[in-house]
Parts: sequence; C-alpha cells; structure tokens
Amino acid sequence: MSGFGNPTEIGVAQYLLMTIEEIGDGTAPLPHTRGNFPGASNTLDAQGRLGTDLLTCIVDSIGGMTSGLASLPEWIVTTNLTLRRAPDALHGSRGTGPLVLDTHVLRRGRSSVVTRVDVATAGGDAVATAWMSCSILTPANGPPPFTRPVRPFDRSVPDEPIYASAPHEFFNLTPGQRPGVVQLAIEPRLRNPWGILHGGASAVVLDATARSLVRGRASVEASPDVIVTDLAVHYLSPGRVGPIIATASSAGRRGPDHLVRVEVRDHGADDRLMALAMTTVRSFA
Amino acid sequence: MTLLGLTVEQDESGDVRGWMPVTEHTISADGMPRLGAVAMLVDALGGMRSITASDPEWAFTADMSLHLLPSGPCDVLRADLHVRRRGRRTLVIEADLTADDERPAGSALLTFAVVPRPVHLVDITIEMTPGRRLMNQNSANEVLETAYFEELGIAAASPGVVSVDLRPVIANTVGALHGAIHASVIDEASTSLARALLGTEAITTDMHLAYLELGRVGPITATATAVGDATDGHLTASVEVRDGAGDLVSTATTQVVAQ
Repeated sequence: MSGFGNPTEIGVAQYLLMTIEEIGDGTAPLPHTRGNFPGASNTLDAQGRLGTDLLTCIVDSIGGMTSGLASLPEWIVTTNLTLRRAPDALHGSRGTGPLVLDTHVLRRGRSSVVTRVDVATAGGDAVATAWMSCSILTPANGPPPFTRPVRPFDRSVPDEPIYASAPHEFFNLTPGQRPGVVQLAIEPRLRNPWGILHGGASAVVLDATARSLVRGRASVEASPDVIVTDLAVHYLSPGRVGPIIATASSAGRRGPDHLVRVEVRDHGADDRLMALAMTTVRSFA
Repeated sequence: MTLLGLTVEQDESGDVRGWMPVTEHTISADGMPRLGAVAMLVDALGGMRSITASDPEWAFTADMSLHLLPSGPCDVLRADLHVRRRGRRTLVIEADLTADDERPAGSALLTFAVVPRPVHLVDITIEMTPGRRLMNQNSANEVLETAYFEELGIAAASPGVVSVDLRPVIANTVGALHGAIHASVIDEASTSLARALLGTEAITTDMHLAYLELGRVGPITATATAVGDATDGHLTASVEVRDGAGDLVSTATTQVVAQ
C-alpha cells in the first residue's frame, strides 16, 4: 500500500459531498460518527431516491473511515459489506431526499473491525441498515491525517461537468453486449487515496450489472422500477488497471425478488476476480 | 449437527459436498428447511473446508450470508462449497445449495479469519476417506424426533425476542454458542417478529450474520427489530444476539416473507 493522498481530494467523495462528524470527544475506543448526505439531484433517481449503488458507496465511505478511526495508528481495508434496504422505502416518496448515516464500531479486534451503519431520512424514516468488516493493516506512510474528534470539512469540488452528472456517467459505466454485463473504465477520480479503484465504484458497477440482468436490457441508467434491495459483497483483490467488467447471473427468484450473483473482474490484470456479490433485485415492473 | 444427520464427501482438491435430509422437524411453511438448519449444514461444511484451505494455519468463521430460494418441498438439501479466496488473513468460501439434486435452492458466502493454529489443534487428524459418510457418527444413533428449534431449546419471550440456555449440545469445542445456533436464534427472533407484524406465518429467507465475540455465558438472547415498516408481506429486521452478561456476541440483518 502506498501513501495516503489528500482526503479532501478523493474524487468519489467530491461527487457525493457527504459530510462526516465524529460524535463525542474522539477518545472512545469504538468510535461513533454521523454522516449527512445532501442528496444532490444528479445523484438521485426520478423518484428522488438514492440507488443502492451510491447508498453502498456512502456506507462504505463512512463505515471505512469510522473503522479506520478505531484502528489508529494503523488503518483498514474493507473486506466485505452487507446492506439491506427497508421494505417501505423502496418505491414512492418514502425514503427519498437527504440522508443521515449513524455509524457505530461494534468490534475492534487485533486484525479486524466490524462496523454498523444505519441509514435514515432527515425525518427519521429508516432507509437501510448495513454492516461491514475491515482488515487492519499498517499503511506504508502512515494513516490518513485526521484531527480528533473529526469535524465536517469543506471539499473543493472541481469545476468540471462530470461532478454534476448522473452516477453512471461519473462512474464511467458502459453496458456490455448483453444484459447483465457492465464495464467501468478507471479514471483518476475513481481511485481511492491509495491509487486503487474506490470500493464504492465496485458497488456501483455490480449494482448496475444486477439491475441490467433483471431488466433484460443492456443498460446502466438509474431504474426506479428495478432496485437492489440487499447485497453482500466481498472485496477479494484491488482494482488497479481496468477496464473493470462485471458479469451477473441469475440464481433464482422468489416472486418479484431475483437472487443475482455478480462477479467483478479487472480485465487489464489478467481478469483477476476483484469482488464477488450476492444481491436481491426487486422488480416493480 | 448430530440430530440433522448431515453427510459429507471431500474430493482430492479439498472441496466438499454435503447433504441434509429434510424432515417435518426441520421444514418451514414452504417445505424448505428453516434457515437456521441450513446454516448448520453450511457452517459445518465450511468449517471442514476451511481446515484444508487454511493449512498449516487455522480458520474460524467471521461472518455468513445466506439466501434461500423457494424450492420446496424437498427431501434432501445439498451444498457444494468452493474456496473463492485464500488470503493471508481471510478465507472466502461460497456454497451453492440444491434441492433434491436438481433445483437451485439458494447460496451462501462465508468469511473465515485465518489465524495461527491453536496449540491444542496442532495434531488434529482430518478424516479424508473417499466417499460419502456421516459428519458425526453419533447421527447413526440419534434421530430428531421433535421440531429442530424446540430440540435446541429456543424459547420465545415476546415477538422478536427469543432465548436459549447454553448447554453442551449447542456449544462448540471451546464451550461457546455454536456458530450455526446463532443463526437459529436469529431466524426464530425474526420470524416471531414477522408473525406479529404481518399477522400470518412467515419464513426467514435470507440473513447477513457477523460474529463478534464468543458467547460463553448463557442464556443467549436474540432481539429482532424492524427496519422500516413491514410492507407487501416483507419484513426487514436487524437482530442483536447478546450473552447472559449482556455483551453483544453477534449482529445480523434478515429478510422475512409472509407465507
């Protein structure tokens, strides 16, 4: 692992614009943080709802940071993440708009951290619940430079149209030749501070791939009529080269809920398996 | 494990395949085995697979995701396990579930933490005889004669809250609550909450479970709370499992559907 870049200049964070605040004085062995996601219109679907792609992105961002705070002076890498959406906030107006993420570290062991993230609307309606596991490691040039307790800080957003674009454009997704295949071309803005593909980007491409399979269309756009309601993703190796190619296959269905398995591979790195996920995709069509 | 009559075979690569007979004592309303019983099959086989995959080190289960499909009624559930990653500190194993050797029945993903082999397990002998065999020889003499969860001693205190006394029969080799029994109390806490909220019979169809600590002090209590409102016959639940000292020993989220 190489050195950590400037945390104010993480492209994915500059796109999402979530602010994070540590609750308490920063001395708790199991940190507690709260994130506020503003819900800019370009990040939401036609109903004003955050897709499971970006929802996973912001959970990974705050969960990873909070797990890292629990691990100082070492730092972490996410190994797996699970997320489940509230059934009454999948469709219609409930669960739309800005979001609040309440994040607690549940366990800090010698080599791993488990952290829980509960997501709700600003009005308190539950949107999703998630937990994630991280491995603790020693970064080559030390951990990110945080002052405790962590307070929200301003991010400078590049004056580029891509930062105001829809998720599939920002994450550089293109549909494959058939439903259930999506490609992501790595751009500098999609890398994390260590120079590898941001974990949230893997979540975005696998979400698009699973939805594409269930819709039966080679597409990558947001789809309020087809939504990933739960996922378990295991990060197996970093994405370094690209293009990243995600492939979905159906494992079966239960009424409107499709069980979909997704593999994410780094095509430019000998098709190395980067991530493996099981998702449930609900079709409202 | 003994009462479920699990059988197993292991090939030369180390991959394992196992079977669980499905009886009236293990099924839910859709004719499929209950998630808690399936978790025992997956956990037992995963543990077996992890031994060779982590050799010369050791591995213990860190988390388990399990999804079930409506493939019932069925007589036998089969699980095929494959290693997807063996890193320095983690091992990821995937399980494919099949009903009656022909219908997809779900899947599981497990993470194992790889650790130095404990001293008391250095000389452990692994049964690698070719062919199908009972996972536990006691299964030849012990048969489940009542509902599996009842046999485990899982008791409901109120909708969403269940407990179980920590007895040797549901403990692992270090005397803590067996990993698969975590799944059973989570399953029952979730379905009991769903029955109350949905007003009908319900089944837990999937679960994401993270193990946090060894549950060494009984009774073990699982508490399920709804995430949002139950809608269209679906309940999402968050479940905490605590030991008799009040310490959080595992956490899970579940999906429960009305039958």
